[in-house]
Amino acid sequence: MNAAAMPVYLDHAATTPVDARVAARMAEVLKSESEFGNPASSHDYGDTAGALIEMARAQVAAAVGASANEVVWTSGATEANNLAIFGVAQYYRDSGRHIITTRIEHKSVLDPCRELERRGCRITYLEPDGGGLLNPDQVAAALRPDTVLVSIAHVNNEIGVVQDIAAIGAICARHGGVRLHVDAAQSVGKCAVDFAAVGVDLLSLSAHKAYGPKGAGALVVSQRGAAGARVHLVPLQFGGGQERGLRAGTLATHQAVGMGMAFALAAGQLQEEIVRTRQLQQRLWEGLSAIGGVLRNGNAQRCVPHLLNVSFEGVEGESLLAAVRPHLAVSTGSACTSSLAEPSFVLRALGRNERLSESSLRFGLGRSSSERDIDTAIAVLAREVARLRRIAGA
Amino acid sequence: MKYNEQTRRYFETAARAGALSGPLVYRGAAGNREYGTWVQFDVQTVSGILEDASFLAFGCPHTIAVAAWVAEQAVGQPAIRRLPDSVQGISLRFAVPVEKLGRLLIIEDAWLATIDSAMTEA
Repeated sequence: MNAAAMPVYLDHAATTPVDARVAARMAEVLKSESEFGNPASSHDYGDTAGALIEMARAQVAAAVGASANEVVWTSGATEANNLAIFGVAQYYRDSGRHIITTRIEHKSVLDPCRELERRGCRITYLEPDGGGLLNPDQVAAALRPDTVLVSIAHVNNEIGVVQDIAAIGAICARHGGVRLHVDAAQSVGKCAVDFAAVGVDLLSLSAHKAYGPKGAGALVVSQRGAAGARVHLVPLQFGGGQERGLRAGTLATHQAVGMGMAFALAAGQLQEEIVRTRQLQQRLWEGLSAIGGVLRNGNAQRCVPHLLNVSFEGVEGESLLAAVRPHLAVSTGSACTSSLAEPSFVLRALGRNERLSESSLRFGLGRSSSERDIDTAIAVLAREVARLRRIAGA
Repeated sequence: MKYNEQTRRYFETAARAGALSGPLVYRGAAGNREYGTWVQFDVQTVSGILEDASFLAFGCPHTIAVAAWVAEQAVGQPAIRRLPDSVQGISLRFAVPVEKLGRLLIIEDAWLATIDSAMTEA
């Protein structure tokens, strides 16, 4: 299918296209006769690649208010989440085996937590309110003397609700500095992230959600510690001692350079993008709500501007997605891991029934999104929802 | 999920979607919207022949496509307690995954209820 015939892309929360400037710079690095060295090598080629890695590290750190020496490269946010959760659980196992998270985290947080439960850890899964918002007092109430980690996403990947990380960080600090891990994969380039200011100990980042390459990410590991003590981790992989021993393996210079540049660009146009996508989000919501029987998922007052999640009454989820697929690239509330779709566990946790959880769509707005794209989406959905409701006799 | 050409065509056109009214119209339904699949057929019979047929369906694309196909195939045929093809045959025709075969049984139940209604009242 050529680009002209492709559906309108409104799935920027799943991934973003690589910024052309980023792609060009990555290609330069890949083709360079002087920048291909192993960054760990002790010669000029290694030093040249190493300098690029460190420049990229500083760019990533600057975008999230961290210090460069706190950035540990990973293959993405999934690896960063795994490293944070398993790393803390393993290192601090003698002081406690209790972890707090929420029912609406990404699978790359929930699945490690379930695995740790299997290994004997106790996990408390906090329930957000109907808008997907967590009350920081819930964290305070769940903390125990043996709590070693609190893991909560900054921006929920399905509904876009922003949690009050500063308040949660303050609670963790008061509780003897229990470590706070924050998955910020959906945050960079969409809302302000200030690692140092909010008392976060571990921050997971992804490049491809911010117009960088897939296969690149980072875990920011605090060197100060919320209670004055540095955070320690047991690594997931061994063999080479790279990244202060936290993540063995030869670094991919072009990937790091791409992520660094993508984050620098995202930080530079953050305010402009917030204003622009907020207007598009409002236009989309007004158009969709005019269809009737459309429910917004997540607290609208605490939602990032680039994401809108809605459920359609009276239509079946799989049919809705099949009907819009030729025209729109969006995410469904169902996890199609098999031939039978499972309703979104996030929306179920918010109290939506099974049918409304299945008939939800997530719209992810991004730099390429235009008013024309939004109007196309509204027109397609108005037509297809009406058709499916007519077929269903609704 | 990928759908074969037959499923896409019947899902997208959904010809005969709607309800019939008037004399000699009989109705049957099966399934439950709350559980994700519900199908209803209307048929108009004259002297034991299905003169017209329509359907309503709340369900996945396979459910809508098969219900549309059943209604289309029925017109002009005698009112008998049988789908135009076996459930096995329909599953192959529409490439229905094995996990969804229960939905074909709901379509079959709705069709049998419709024919039973026609036979009882006629």
